[in-house]
Order: sequence, then C-alpha cells, then structure tokens
Amino acid sequence: MDTRPDMIFFWVALWSYLAATVGACIYAGTRKPSVRGIVYGVTLVGLVSQTVALGVRWAASGHPPVTGPFDYMLLLSWAAVLAFIIMWRTKGLELLTAFAAPVGVLGMGVASLFPSRIEQQLIPALQSYWLWIHVSLAALAEAAFAVSFVAAVMYLIGDWRGWERLPDKETLDMVIYRAIGVGFPLFTIGALLAGSIWANSAWGAPWSWDPKETSSLIVWLVYAIYLHARLVKGWRGVGAARLAVLGFLVTLFTVLGSRFLGGLHSYGV
Amino acid sequence: MLGPVPLVVLVPLVLLTAALFLQGFRDWLTSMRTAIRLLVAMAAISMVGALVGQRLPPEAYTERYGEMLGLFIFRTGLANVFRTWYFALLGALVVVSTITCTLRRIVQLVKHPGRRISATGSLLTHLSIALIAAAGLVTALAGFKYPAPRYLEAGDMIEVPEGGFSIRVDAARTEFTEDGSLSEYLTEVTVFEDGTEVLKHRIEVNHPLNHRGIGVYQYEMLPSSKSIQCAFIGVVVPVSEGAPLHRDISVAPGEIVEIEGTDLSLKVLEFLADFTYDIETGTAGLASIRHDNPAVLVELLEAGELVVERWFFMGRHAGHRDDSDLPCRIFFLDYIPDFDNGLTRFEYARQPGTPLLFAGLGILSLGLCLTLWTRRPPGVA
Repeated sequence: MDTRPDMIFFWVALWSYLAATVGACIYAGTRKPSVRGIVYGVTLVGLVSQTVALGVRWAASGHPPVTGPFDYMLLLSWAAVLAFIIMWRTKGLELLTAFAAPVGVLGMGVASLFPSRIEQQLIPALQSYWLWIHVSLAALAEAAFAVSFVAAVMYLIGDWRGWERLPDKETLDMVIYRAIGVGFPLFTIGALLAGSIWANSAWGAPWSWDPKETSSLIVWLVYAIYLHARLVKGWRGVGAARLAVLGFLVTLFTVLGSRFLGGLHSYGV
Repeated sequence: MLGPVPLVVLVPLVLLTAALFLQGFRDWLTSMRTAIRLLVAMAAISMVGALVGQRLPPEAYTERYGEMLGLFIFRTGLANVFRTWYFALLGALVVVSTITCTLRRIVQLVKHPGRRISATGSLLTHLSIALIAAAGLVTALAGFKYPAPRYLEAGDMIEVPEGGFSIRVDAARTEFTEDGSLSEYLTEVTVFEDGTEVLKHRIEVNHPLNHRGIGVYQYEMLPSSKSIQCAFIGVVVPVSEGAPLHRDISVAPGEIVEIEGTDLSLKVLEFLADFTYDIETGTAGLASIRHDNPAVLVELLEAGELVVERWFFMGRHAGHRDDSDLPCRIFFLDYIPDFDNGLTRFEYARQPGTPLLFAGLGILSLGLCLTLWTRRPPGVA
C-alpha cells in the first residue's frame, strides 16, 4: 500500500465510500433514519478525506490537481459527492442523496486504475492558466451530469419495478432537469469556450475535430436535445430519463475514451 | 402552345404549389421535431467521426477494418466525415433552422415582454449558433494551418507563406528543470519585413508569434543532429596477464580524456545523429536529422601520439566491426543530446473565423446561463 499522505487519504475516502455504499443499500431496504444518518456521516468522512487528498496533491505539485486521469477522476467524483451532500437535507431526496457514495466509489475506483504520481513539472503544452479553468469547469459540469445520471437511473428503476421505495417521479424528473440545467452552461463555458481559447493558443486552431473535442460536442448535442425538448415542449418521463443516462455514458466516454482513440488530448485525460 | 386561359390557370397553380411547398418547408424547418432530428443526426455523424480515425491514408482503413468495410468508410467520406457534403448540408440546415427560430423568438419577445431575461437568453443561444457556423465558414474559406516544410537551427531564415514576412531563428532549445524534467521548448526569433528587422519574439508552446494575421506556433523540437553534450564510451584494454581492463568514461566533444591505468587517451571529434557514408566522396554525413543511427568520430591516442581516428556506432551497428588493429576495443554506449542547439519546426495558422467563434461561444454561454439559471423550471408553478 502506498504510504504517501495523499494516497493514505485517498484510500480512507475510497473505503469510506464503500462502507457508505453498503449503508445506502441497507437504507434503501429499511428506510431507517438512523441508518441514513450513519451513511451521511461515513460519506462525509470520505468527502473530507478526498478533499485533503486533493489539497495535498495541490500543495505537493504546486498547481491545481487537474492533470492526468487520476487527478481528473478524483476531482470529478469529489465534485459529484459534494453536489449530493449539498442536496442532503432536501425533502423527498433522502434515498437519492444516500447514493452519493457509489458515485465516489465509481470515480475513485476508475482513478485507482491510473498512475497516481505527482508531477511537479507540467509538460510545455499544459503550462497555461487555461488548464485549470478548462478542466475544473468541465469536471464540475460532468459532476452535475453524474447527479442527473443517478436520478435518471432511479427514475428508470421506478418505472420498471414500481415507485414504492423510491422518491416520487416528479421530484426525480426535476432533479434530472436541474442537474443538467446547472451542468450544461458550465460544460459550454469550461469544455467548449475555455477549451477552444486554449486550443487556439496551443495548437493553432480553436477546433480540430480531435476525438475528445468531437465526443465533447456529442455530449453537448445530447444534453441540448434534452433541454430543447424539455424547455419547448415540456418533455419528461422515461424517454427523458433514458436520454440523461445516455448523456452521462457519452460523458464517461469523453473522459476516458480519448486514452484509446489518441488525438491531441492523448497526453492528458 | 398554351393559350391565355390555361396560362391564367397554370401560373397561379404553380405559384400556389411553390408557396405551399415553401410554407411546408418552413414549417418543417422550424418545428421542434426537425430541430431535434437534425441534432440527433449531427450527434450520430460526430460519433462516427470520433470512433473512426480521421484523415488517414486509404490503406490504414482496409488494414484496420478489412477490405470491404475499409473501402466503404473511405468511399462514403466517413474517413474525413467533417468535410463531407452531407455533414455540411446538415450544418447548413441546423443554421437555417436556428435562424428562422431566432426570428420567431424576436417577434415573440416584442409581442410578449414578460419573462424577458430568459427569453433574451434563449434568443442569444439561438443567435450564437449562427455566429459559430459563420465562424466555421469564414475559416473554411480563408483559413489554413500546416507545419513548416523544414526544421531550422540557429541562424536559419524562413519565409512565412502568405505572410509577407520572414523569420530568422536566433536560438532553439529545450529547457529542463534541475531534476531533469522537461520544462519548455522555445525558439527565439527575429521577424523581418522587406529585409528590415521589425520585432523579436520568443515562441513557446502556448505562446505563438502572431504577426500580420498569421500565427507561428512551436510545432516540434529536436536536439541537435550534429552535436552532443557528452558521449559515454566503454573501453576494454587487453592486458598481458589476467582479465582485460574495463573502463567507462564520459567525454565532452573536444576534450581529451585519459584512460586510467593505461597510456591511452581519447577525444570525441564529431557526432552524427543518423550516420551515413557516401562511397563516392568518401565522406560521412547525415541520412536524416532523427537520432536513428548515432555515431561518434573518436580520436585514439597512445602516449600522446595519434593511433587512429574512427567512427563508432551506438545501437544496432555496434560491435559488428573488426577493431583488432587497435590497442583496445571501444564502444559508443550512450550520449546526452545537445538540447541547447536544437532543430525547431514551426506550424503556420491563419484562422480568420476565430474571433467570431469566441464571440459566438461567449454569447452561447451567456444565453444558456440566462435561460437555465434565471427561469423557473418548466412544470413548476
């Protein structure tokens, strides 16, 4: 086991989220408020540990921890868990927010597959203040999409197996819409606007149809379809939930796919 | 020949049909269903573009996907899908649909001033799509981006095509931190117009030279192909009794290094990154600037007297030669490249649509924030 301070906090966070995930499953079955309280406490321990891990990595590298897939997944899952924690006291979302921890497990689990070394010196292409603007805004947007994904999955489960144990469908529908409504402008500013400004100074063109750029455009189009249909015709229900799930799957592909497809972004996430 | 009566009937009929067709087309184009279908089609084509490698040679597709599918990908334009007529048509339809929708929204905004902020946001969002498309069109018509045809070293001049100016490389180097991590590629240049020096600039990754509408970017940097900082040489000296003497030494070019325990010394005279030999002229030279076949010219001295001057090779050509005439065996083990006298390569770009694109994306971001962050969610009283 890695004894570096950031990694100790990383593992504390991951194990806390794992424990909280088990607790969330128990809560889903029992609906005991005391179990939810424990889940909240353990999730909070995980979030604090994850925050410390990020802070240590920031201090040790001298720049925001937004380079490489390990840091990115750590940041993305941190933001997603934080979003759930912020919604914790919202009435009607007791079960939804209890499922913050699985998102943390998923994000940190994926992060653990990548090298965790701390790079003090950034490669020339990454030496720009646009790095943290572009990456951190994209991560926040994708964290919001993760929230919409969890709500959409619950919606689809409810539609499939009945709604007795789940938040009511109107509430879930609203969470999906609001999460996408928060994430979409952030994604546009962070991934597209900031990304194109940076690309223009680094690569000589704001847009190069690189696989990551293209898949970001697909993410944008999928959520644009959702919002357009929602805002113009009030589209909701199973179809909208399925589209929210699809949107997040394409988001995951965008985050991780460029590692396999190559292109200009292949040195980063 | 048609008489006056049929014409009187025919002309209005044709006009009516055309009007109905145009009306139908306009209704089709401005419907939400059409907008969504266009976005779905664009997402689907983009997905193909993300998954299928773009702008590769035809054989790369047949190699990767097999003869039939590879040919299909190439012939249907999926190999360069973002430059196909059908993608352009789709983009044009999205833009026309957005513009007609924008016009309708302007009318609505004037007629119904309530919810003005979110309505303005929605209007800006639609308007920005047209700006972004216009930016793409301007760049496609008048823009370019390609790497310079050759590598340059300090002292070299190059004419910037379509720029009306030339660049002289004053220095080209790769910088490292104290712990050896790569820190920067940089080229110091002087810009000349009609033979007159107009400015000096330091081109780095993320910091191009922008002059007369053309961006000059740091595209590639190689260490020198004709010099090194230091060579690592292995020497094996036979002794009359017992095991031969092994010495590994580091030698800077031009420096004479004595081989400890012997009266031998050696000096590195030259370095070639990719050695080749011209039989006709009997001279050594560079096959390329890549470090594919590194070689050093070594001068071996015994008691201060020249024994031999010979090329030694690293890697695949090492050890394949009979050096039994020498008082010792010499191996070119490794070297530290010369990063201070590098070979730099630029990329030229003119992207005239870029300011319009940034404006479009900025307005889009603003429009989305106004639309989504100021309005009450649909369905909430």
